[in-house]
Amino acid sequence: MERAVVLKGITKRFPGIVANDGIDLEVKKGEIHAIVGENGAGKSTLMKILAGIYQPDEGEIYIFGKRERITSPGRAIELKIGMVHQHFMLVDRFTVLENIILGAEKRAGITIDEKNSRKMIEELLSLYNFSLDLDARVEEISVGQAQRVEILKVLYRGADILVLDEPTAVLAPQEVKELFVNLRRLKEEGKTIIFISHKLDEVLEIADRITVLRRGRVVGTVMPSEVTKEELARMMVGKPVFMKLEKASVPTGEVLLSVKDLVVKESTGKTVVNGVSFEIRGGEIYGIAGIEGNGQKELAEAILGLRQISSGQVTICGRNAGNLSVREIRDLGVAFIPEDRHRQGLILPMKVWENMVLGFHRKKEFLKGRSLNLKAIRKFAEKKSEEFLVMLSSIEQSIEGLSGGNQQKVILGRELSREPEVIIASQPTRGLDVGAAEFVHKELLKKREEGKAILLISADLEEVLSLSDRVGVIYNGRITAEFKPEEVTLEDIGVYMLGGEVKAGEGA
Amino acid sequence: MKKRYYIVMLRILAPVLAIVLSALISSAVILAIGKSPLQVFYTIFKFSLSRLDSIAIILYNATPLIFSGLAVSIGFRMGLFNIGVEGQYLIGAFFAALAGFAIKGLPVFVHLPLVILCGALGGMLWSFIPIYLKVKRGVHEVISTIMLNYISYSLIHYLIADVFLDRSQKLVEGLGGILTRTPKLPPSALMPKLHVFLGLFGIQLPRHVYLNWFFPLGLLMAYLIYYLLMHTPFGFEIRSVGQNPEAARTAGIKPERVYMAGFLLSGAVAGLVGLSDLLSYFGYMDLDFPRNYGFDGIAVALIGQNNPLGIVLSAILFGFLKRGAEGIQTQLNVPMDTIVILQAVMIMSIVVITKVMNDYIKRLERKESVICSSQNSSLPA
Ligand SMILES: Nc1ncnc2c1ncn2[C@@H]1O[C@H](COP(=O)(O)OP(=O)(O)OP(=O)(O)O)[C@@H](O)[C@H]1O
Ligand SMILES: [Mg+2]
Repeated sequence: MERAVVLKGITKRFPGIVANDGIDLEVKKGEIHAIVGENGAGKSTLMKILAGIYQPDEGEIYIFGKRERITSPGRAIELKIGMVHQHFMLVDRFTVLENIILGAEKRAGITIDEKNSRKMIEELLSLYNFSLDLDARVEEISVGQAQRVEILKVLYRGADILVLDEPTAVLAPQEVKELFVNLRRLKEEGKTIIFISHKLDEVLEIADRITVLRRGRVVGTVMPSEVTKEELARMMVGKPVFMKLEKASVPTGEVLLSVKDLVVKESTGKTVVNGVSFEIRGGEIYGIAGIEGNGQKELAEAILGLRQISSGQVTICGRNAGNLSVREIRDLGVAFIPEDRHRQGLILPMKVWENMVLGFHRKKEFLKGRSLNLKAIRKFAEKKSEEFLVMLSSIEQSIEGLSGGNQQKVILGRELSREPEVIIASQPTRGLDVGAAEFVHKELLKKREEGKAILLISADLEEVLSLSDRVGVIYNGRITAEFKPEEVTLEDIGVYMLGGEVKAGEGA
Repeated sequence: MKKRYYIVMLRILAPVLAIVLSALISSAVILAIGKSPLQVFYTIFKFSLSRLDSIAIILYNATPLIFSGLAVSIGFRMGLFNIGVEGQYLIGAFFAALAGFAIKGLPVFVHLPLVILCGALGGMLWSFIPIYLKVKRGVHEVISTIMLNYISYSLIHYLIADVFLDRSQKLVEGLGGILTRTPKLPPSALMPKLHVFLGLFGIQLPRHVYLNWFFPLGLLMAYLIYYLLMHTPFGFEIRSVGQNPEAARTAGIKPERVYMAGFLLSGAVAGLVGLSDLLSYFGYMDLDFPRNYGFDGIAVALIGQNNPLGIVLSAILFGFLKRGAEGIQTQLNVPMDTIVILQAVMIMSIVVITKVMNDYIKRLERKESVICSSQNSSLPA
């Protein structure tokens, strides 16, 4: 069989770390090849090399048998390699069509030849069985659709080799299914697909072959039929991972967080949270399941005081938090793990140790007189980096240089080490590898056992169901259903998440 | 390892190289006016650096620019553009002058600090307007500070030429009218020169040199601001808000509050910009009071990369250029306009070249640490 991509001895170094260390990889034409590995194993780096974003320090690349140097993203496109990044790169205000042709416009004289472009895209849509409204604005479409736009962008540029970096991290189960249908269809048409994921079930379901990376090296390439999830996890981490969570039964305490008839509006007047109510007691995890963009971000931000509350009430540890500042709310003992770590969780150009105390830099233990006690801060950062297993070369490193998962661990270290009473965790394990995710889950369960109240917002249903004591499904700013996890199946919740109703008799 | 020395060398050489290259570029301008570049540069260096008093004048020239570069840099660190240092220092200077001539009979150790404080207060007051408008009303600070610069020009003119005009002046013989200036400040409000102090070390400066205690004060200010930024919680907040206001807000820092306090601080420092001239050279404020320090401060902050030490050095560079310009003007008879062009060309090329050099150094450093790390990583992990 023809080989679409062959990598030989690819090495890529960053300050203080070897991200890729002599990687050999073969991807056959027309296969779906999954790449898995721990956070910081070098997956994204390898893919960026393939997409011309980084240049390898050593090694050779062969595309369809020919030795190539992929010197730029433009060169990658010439070689028919297209990458879909984990973070979407779309222009919100543009329509789907405009986004697809952006940067690769067909011209008619000095104007853009929209008619021809539209025809081409419509042909692609019908060839691959994609459904998309080309005239919808990107800001109005769902995450799953946005992903399809990203894939179409790549196809429109003529890609034969598609690289997808964690495409399923933000999708609901139904959307993942649709994506997989799309991917299989692409494969039938002879496209080659390389995709990265931390969700091993998915990988086992869709991939033809799986390559495991660990610390910048290839551990092995396996067929999904030959391995179990546990074996795969062990290959990644290098030691056994137990994927069963021990959830102790914990007596519940006082109500620590209560939200009553909460309404939050955008500055445009659009209602984004529409009368949400729930109570969380100490020792309880309340899960909110839902597809991104249904008000969960705004709900979390309103509780934290980042957003104005239009009506309703938020009570934290018995105090009305309605008109407290973020600082005051945090001082009540609220920890926040934001879903968008780059925008809300971290200050990217700053160093690891600076990020480790962001927001707590005025705490007594970090001050000496009126100045910062840099020694104490550094020591704290060292300790937390170790405790939370952050992979880094030094705490003096800028946080930008850490892999996605390790950046998340810095946030967790910072937020969870402050003895919070209430924890708002938005997508706390997004982008984390199995080991790290397990670690976070254990931390959250530990906090639960310590009698803290936890609001867990996640698009990862399995996570919500396995951790929560109660689950609310959010759709369109409302909690449309509430369950105990043992009362429902994944499928039922999935239907609610998409705004449907489970007919009596069909559920449970 | 060899490479590491190379990097350190480059670091030191970068600004020098930038200056040399920019000299080459300015040579084109010099050639265009029919002079010999070699002669011009020879004159600049000889005139500026061959005598002690000339060096003192360079430092004197640098003094206001240290303050204004620092003021601008505080804004930059928060992600704000304080284009209004220009207006803030004029208002600050006027406040200082007012406190100087309106109060009489105070001993120098009370009066002088009071005058300086009033200068800072004036600058702060003038910076309050734009930052209040920004924080409360969302008015972009660039627009409001530019407008306030114009207002300050006219306001100062009005105050000097009308309200506080010194009408008690004796008519200068042969001149029809009195000078348009404020009353003179009493000696108790003036800043002593450095002459006596330097005399202790055997350095004798002639009387026409006005280097005064504001220069060491500027150095102290640079250190204080460095300390504030890197070692205090407030400085940490300034940097956080400057890099990512949304993450700072999520962490419980109120960007608006930081903007407010930081901008007032910037204004207070700006208020000191004109005092070296006011309190040691003029002794009163008139319509010819020096302008443009605020704008020069933007260039100083850029070349100094918002780093206090860098700002001090780039302010001295500016002082040197100014002194050199005086040299070629008087000794080579080059018209003033050409010198202004020459200065602008030099500044522009220095800005560009330092940027390019620094990027190059950064890239080298990256490679360097990679070499070290690959040595480490050969150990089993
Ligand atoms: N631009 C960069 N500068 C410095 N170091 C980097 C840079 N990009 C990646 N690294 C480092 O290279 C290593 C591999 O990073 P990479 O992003 O490829 O990991 P990953 O396998 O994609 O991890 P994750 O699953 O967390 O996304 C990490 O240790 C990271 O710190
Ligand atoms: Mg990655």
